[in-house]
Amino acid sequence: MGQLEGRVACVTGGTRGVGRAAAEAFVREGARVVVNGRDADKGARAVDEMGGGDNVHFIAGDMSRREDCDALVQGTVDHFGRIDILHANAGGAVSPGPVAAMSDDAMADTLAWNFWHTFWTMRAALGHMIPQESGRILATSSVEGKRGTPGLANYVAAKHAINGLVQTAAAEVGTLGITVNAVCPGAMETDAMTNDAPAAAEAMGMTYEDLKAMFSEASAIKRLTEVEDVAEVLVLLASDAGAGITGSLISIDGGTSPY
Amino acid sequence: MGKLDGKVAAITGGTRSIGRGMADAFLAEGAVVVVNGRSDEKGRRCLDEMGAGDNAVFCKGDASVQADVEGMVDFAVEHYGQLDICCLNSGGVENTAPVAMMTDEEWRLEMDWNLNQVFWGMRRALQHMMPRETGRIIVTSSVEGKLGKPGIPGYTAAKHAVNGLVKSAAHEVGTMGITVNAILPGLTETDTLREKGPGSAEAMGLESYDALVELFTQGSAIKRPNRVSEVAAVAVLLASAAGRNITGALFPVDGGTMPY
Repeated sequence: MGQLEGRVACVTGGTRGVGRAAAEAFVREGARVVVNGRDADKGARAVDEMGGGDNVHFIAGDMSRREDCDALVQGTVDHFGRIDILHANAGGAVSPGPVAAMSDDAMADTLAWNFWHTFWTMRAALGHMIPQESGRILATSSVEGKRGTPGLANYVAAKHAINGLVQTAAAEVGTLGITVNAVCPGAMETDAMTNDAPAAAEAMGMTYEDLKAMFSEASAIKRLTEVEDVAEVLVLLASDAGAGITGSLISIDGGTSPY
Repeated sequence: MGKLDGKVAAITGGTRSIGRGMADAFLAEGAVVVVNGRSDEKGRRCLDEMGAGDNAVFCKGDASVQADVEGMVDFAVEHYGQLDICCLNSGGVENTAPVAMMTDEEWRLEMDWNLNQVFWGMRRALQHMMPRETGRIIVTSSVEGKLGKPGIPGYTAAKHAVNGLVKSAAHEVGTMGITVNAILPGLTETDTLREKGPGSAEAMGLESYDALVELFTQGSAIKRPNRVSEVAAVAVLLASAAGRNITGALFPVDGGTMPY
């Protein structure tokens, strides 16, 4: 008997990285899951690979667009009849670089993809969860939601903003059977990292290997975090045992964050 | 197949309340457990209720006494051959008072019970875990490790100190396969709270036990106490293989009470 039997989950950015690991863990625990991504081919492949049959459904959408965020939550309800777990997970750094050289687009696009997407999907999901008086909202924040790292101002600002949003929403719906939490992973070598980080490293005058070493050096474990570690925390937060945890910014970062 | 098959856990203050919840949850996941407490009678009752046979053993000791805390760690190693999970969970106050009225005696007791216990137990457990390059230290801290409330200055100071100790130790042993974390519960509705709560409420000039619970939960988002099972579930996660990359963390189980 899984810990999430009968639940319906929606995972943004669910075809790869943390989202994919979360989606797989949710399915393993008995949930039906909608995974989102921008690319229909990658989506079809992810659904195939996950092997969850009818319990996994892909909905394409760009999470930096409000219409797609709203449509994803509605699409989840249309397909599986309800939404119990929203995992607002999509995100990354668009054209990272030092503040002095950062374009308006780099800041705005990063905020849309990380922060606005979390707000849009959360608002839409709460519209279903408040009447049913139950739900779990999980946001993928980051260790960068608790500290600053040079060259990542847009990402750092967006993740800090997500943490504030999570704490506020948690206080608003705390008595309605709905919890709202953020997980704050340390650096993980996901596709997003291998795609985005080399540019960030270059902007900071270092190699990608230097950048990874910088992240692991700041931790206690001196290695990077892995997506499976995050998925297990998400299962706990989504399960009945997580009912008493809300407004929390859970660090899964090998001892990196200062608080 | 449990998440803690083959693991040995020791828990200070393990016969009742949160510590007991951890013991039950660890047993359910396949671990064997040493539960510590001051009272032989409560220890016997605890073992009876758990019905775990050779998989659970009681180790009598006072968690505010160095020899007893170190003795529990040593006992676990002798009895079960190793110690994988050390839960430094016991804690509380005896005759707490505002700072201006705090006695030296009470202050020393609260420091020994809440802070020094964690140091003594952690040090002894690490000495055993470091050569084996594996282990989990789980400390029961509190929301009072991040917040302050009037009337419990010793408890608050000790829990803040414990959080710092956890973070330092986590960095010292981070590459040795050992994690060190604190769980920070909000007011948790334990058997002890239900038993002692009415008396505490009266001492605080409150009209009822419910008023006490309301006072301590109004700062939360969920406006209710936490459950022992919620804290125990986090302890299992931290103790399991899935917890290997979580260290130096102050894990809240407080229904949204803490600001950070």
